[in-house]
Amino acid sequence: MITRTPNFTGWRATILTEEDGNTERLRRQLSLLGIEVHCQWSPIIESAMPKLILVDADRGWDELLPWDTGTPTRPVVALLGSEAPGRIAWAIRQGAGAIIPKPITASAIYPALVLAVSIHEARLSAERQIAHLEERLKLRPVVYAAIARLTSERQIGEDAAYSVLRDCAMRRRLPIEQIAAFFLAGSEPLREVGKCGR
Amino acid sequence: MQETVKIGILYSTTGPYGSMGRDARDGADFAYHDYRAAGGTRVELAFFDPHADLAAYVEGARHLIRDEGCRHIVGTITSAARKEVIPLVEKHDGLLWYMCPYEGFEANENVLYIGGCPNQHLIPLFEHLIPRHGAHPYLVGANYVWGWEMNRLARELINNVGGTVLGERYLPLEETDVERIVADIAEKRPSFVLNNLIGPSSYAFLAAMKKLGERDPAFLPENCPVASCDLQECELTDIDDGAGIGQLCAASYFDSLDTAENLAFKARLQAWRPGERKVSSVFASAYTAVSLCIAAIEAAGSEEPAKVRDKIVSRSWPTLFGEMHIDPDTNHAALPFLLGQINPEDGFDVIAARPALPADPYLTGATLTLKPKLRVVS
Repeated sequence: MITRTPNFTGWRATILTEEDGNTERLRRQLSLLGIEVHCQWSPIIESAMPKLILVDADRGWDELLPWDTGTPTRPVVALLGSEAPGRIAWAIRQGAGAIIPKPITASAIYPALVLAVSIHEARLSAERQIAHLEERLKLRPVVYAAIARLTSERQIGEDAAYSVLRDCAMRRRLPIEQIAAFFLAGSEPLREVGKCGR
Repeated sequence: MQETVKIGILYSTTGPYGSMGRDARDGADFAYHDYRAAGGTRVELAFFDPHADLAAYVEGARHLIRDEGCRHIVGTITSAARKEVIPLVEKHDGLLWYMCPYEGFEANENVLYIGGCPNQHLIPLFEHLIPRHGAHPYLVGANYVWGWEMNRLARELINNVGGTVLGERYLPLEETDVERIVADIAEKRPSFVLNNLIGPSSYAFLAAMKKLGERDPAFLPENCPVASCDLQECELTDIDDGAGIGQLCAASYFDSLDTAENLAFKARLQAWRPGERKVSSVFASAYTAVSLCIAAIEAAGSEEPAKVRDKIVSRSWPTLFGEMHIDPDTNHAALPFLLGQINPEDGFDVIAARPALPADPYLTGATLTLKPKLRVVS
């Protein structure tokens, strides 16, 4: 496996905080990474969404970030000095994938960005996977119905019926649920057991 | 009367990189000698030797800052030691002058980097090697961040030109049992070897590669070179009977440089300590760090680190590396790239050179793709 060197050149980042010494150091390091930095202490408008968000989690409030809690659409890094569980929980609820402790040290910034971006990507990919699996789960009854019809119409066992559907799905590179739906709708005749063709 | 200013010098003169530490310390000493010889009296040096004990670096930095009153520390060879010292330097708002080549991915406001990062050594090295020898290297390294990160970058570079890394092996510091690695290299037959081992491991490896070349000419340096980014003149005498001859090293300075500055420098050094000594890049860069630190303190009229830093980045400075410019954004020096080939006199012949390259510590440029003309056609 080759680990690619993360590259943030050309990214736009918004820091949700009031300007202070921490912000200054943050700006410097982010600029070094080729990131265009914008600083504000007011909610992000969805139409002006940056690629990366850093938020002061010591003082932040829900409306700063333009999404329902827990479902971030951008990588989030929390800037945190407090150890209060409530503030940590707030950072988690906003979807923070990494924390930069305050006072900010230069060496904490790049690793936090890489971590937050990587966690965000993993989260998106897991969400896609879950949505896909849920869809398939929803369609399971269709597969059962197709198996039931095949076993009664073709006088084959359940295992054999499942194999017919699966082989056809593999050959046509479609999900088995879709083949089952086609079969039930009559558009996939499965004329020969073990073969699919028309 | 002027108040005395002390510059802390923090090097280990023992341990796996002791020869580099001794050369660096001598380089600092010589810079001080030059300063005194020119009539300087205000600045003094304070030395601390952590003897390669990582915990002692913090202790040393604390001693230099608190007891000696140093605002500036020149030193550390390894990244591990630098990382130990930085928090303390930050806390006391000092300035660390780091002068070794390193693996990049750092740009601290309280550190000046004059040793070079991968876009100044590894990438130009590969741009030289790949068209000549191919894109199928073997990577060896010391089992710590320098070896890991240099080899990771090497792998990425090789992948980006469509080549293949034929093997990647690590040795603990000071491990000299290299036979299994060399046997693997003999079997895999790479186009070249990137050597990120340090100290005795590296010397043992070069000796074993020489024997391999004697058995099989495909592994002679002209056919399958072993290239390093951190080998020094001061180490060549430690390598058994010229085992390194013909092998390559990337650096920004070699003793053999034929510039007026270098010749004058070597003549002054001979007058100071007559002998056979060759100047290593670590000697040259420690000398440069101390000289620049003194010059900037004097030019700023203050040892206040922020003022000294502002002064140092405000203009270029004549050094052994040529006119040196330090980027005010990254705090890194632009450095020339030189490729040295080890000669029988325990020195390097410069076989390729490029003018000073600005540092890109986070590799934000497109440098990782190498140059299109170097793309390997499979």
